[in-house]
Amino acid sequence: MMTRLSTMNLLPNAQYELWVTATNTTGISPASEKALYMTVPSPPVIKQRECTSCPEAALIRWDSGNTNPVDSYTVELSETGTNGTESTVPTCQCLIQLQAGRRYLISVRAVNIGGPSDRSEVITVSTTGTFFHLLEDTAHPCLSISEDGFTIFYGDEELPISAMALDDNTFFTRCVAVLGDLIPVRGRHYWEVEVDDGTEFRIGVAYEDMERNTYLGANSSSWCMRHILSPTRHKYEFLHNGWSPDLRITVNPLRIGVALDYDRGTLSFFNVNLEQHLHTFHCNFQNHIQPCFSLDNPGALTVHNGIEAPEYAFM
Amino acid sequence: MALTQVSSNKCAGGFQKVFEHESTELKCKMKFAVYLPPKAETDKCPVMYWLSGLTCTEQNFITKAGSQLAAAEHGIIIVAPDTSPRGCNIEGEDENWDFGTGAGFYVNATQDPWKTNYRMYAYVTEELPKLINANFPTDPDRMSVSGHSMGGHGALICALKNPGKYKAVSAFAPICNPMQCPWGQKAFAGYLGSDRSTWEAYDATVLAASYSGPQLNILIDQGQDDQFLSASQLLPDNLIAVCSEKKIPVVFRLQPGYDHSYFFMYSFMNDHIKHHAKYLNA
Repeated sequence: MMTRLSTMNLLPNAQYELWVTATNTTGISPASEKALYMTVPSPPVIKQRECTSCPEAALIRWDSGNTNPVDSYTVELSETGTNGTESTVPTCQCLIQLQAGRRYLISVRAVNIGGPSDRSEVITVSTTGTFFHLLEDTAHPCLSISEDGFTIFYGDEELPISAMALDDNTFFTRCVAVLGDLIPVRGRHYWEVEVDDGTEFRIGVAYEDMERNTYLGANSSSWCMRHILSPTRHKYEFLHNGWSPDLRITVNPLRIGVALDYDRGTLSFFNVNLEQHLHTFHCNFQNHIQPCFSLDNPGALTVHNGIEAPEYAFM
Repeated sequence: MALTQVSSNKCAGGFQKVFEHESTELKCKMKFAVYLPPKAETDKCPVMYWLSGLTCTEQNFITKAGSQLAAAEHGIIIVAPDTSPRGCNIEGEDENWDFGTGAGFYVNATQDPWKTNYRMYAYVTEELPKLINANFPTDPDRMSVSGHSMGGHGALICALKNPGKYKAVSAFAPICNPMQCPWGQKAFAGYLGSDRSTWEAYDATVLAASYSGPQLNILIDQGQDDQFLSASQLLPDNLIAVCSEKKIPVVFRLQPGYDHSYFFMYSFMNDHIKHHAKYLNA
């Protein structure tokens, strides 16, 4: 005679009805009352390439991990070696306020009435500098991105015609460009770009809704530093709305620091190796902007971020 | 090294002062202006030397250039000397506005009748810093130099001839290649004589070609509507070409609509003082 039975192999995040019958030589009894049992959800899967951070905050995004909806998610945050905190959020993302210069461990659990899932894999967030990945969906079809996600290449390939058919302002169609996924926190952000002497590039920032069939710096929703290689010399422009000041720079920057300050309304560019200030745009950024990177001719550039801004960057 | 205070006005929380002294290099009484920022009351401050252009005295910069607020903000002492010896009774010294009085060109003259008094290079690089360091709360290791037009030429040559002495250098509409322009040829012929090889030691473009020393980061602003630019007196392209070749870092900004005046300098003075502050306060 059994009084207890364990069941296994239940699906996660699913509701089961359980009932018991008794059997003897005469037959089977009517069913008992039904008990409802909700299995806990599967753990969420943190989307590493969609997590972004800055000295004061981190934005964590994840996949539910469950086909059916769950009730909520619990985000667990701790600094390495200390006890943590928990917050409950309704959707698959969470903007967490943090302190600068620390390392945090973050994991997520999905929750339903049955209880919390197992913990997701832990993601480490370092609040040194601003960290972001590139938004691959915005990349021009001729632009390819390295596996680690931080180097972009413009090969010599012909533009596939099929790519031009889509006109929903997601990816760049003229300028061989890509946007970065900057955390939507107004404050100070700094990143660096490494280029070769011969790379013709445009690097800067743009509003998220910038027209994808235009060039960086050629409109009122983007600001960029542009390098043009002519037969006689290197030319540098700082473009916004198609206009640039007239500047000459005698040493070609190979590592460019970009410093964005929302509060002061400035976007500055530096030759990092020389600690030399190149130019500052003054603009009142109404909405959140994204870093942008483009190659005007075949070549490559590498984005470096998660770097503490040098002192002179926000002087 | 006795200093007499000529004037003192509170300005931007600090003090704009003018002093007079008996110069041993120039063998005459000289005035210079000193701005002491609020920080100078309690701490030693770095010093920026400002060299003015043709016809100026120590007054033009302190009344027209708008430097004091930025100097106060960044805690920098600004010293602005006169542009030539005065009252030396040299024959012909007042005949031209671009040679003699008010036009010392920051050289040490070798020709008569100028060589006894017209030693502005030694005055600016040796005598004046010693005097300033002895009488004001300065950090003697932190000095920088800037200037306008003839003073821009002065700033560039002081920095290029003294590697490591100046932590920063910048200029407004400088005379970049005096050997190749009318102003420079007239002045150098008069002060240094007809042997052009002696002129090279005071020409920024020539000096840049053979510069070897700690990295200089040069900021130059130039008005696009500057009449002296179009008159080929300033020749910045020559300096830029040499600095590109020799990898001397320069950011040269051509400012549309701006002329040669103090209105132009006033407009970009904050940027220059900030440029100096970055190196002086490092």
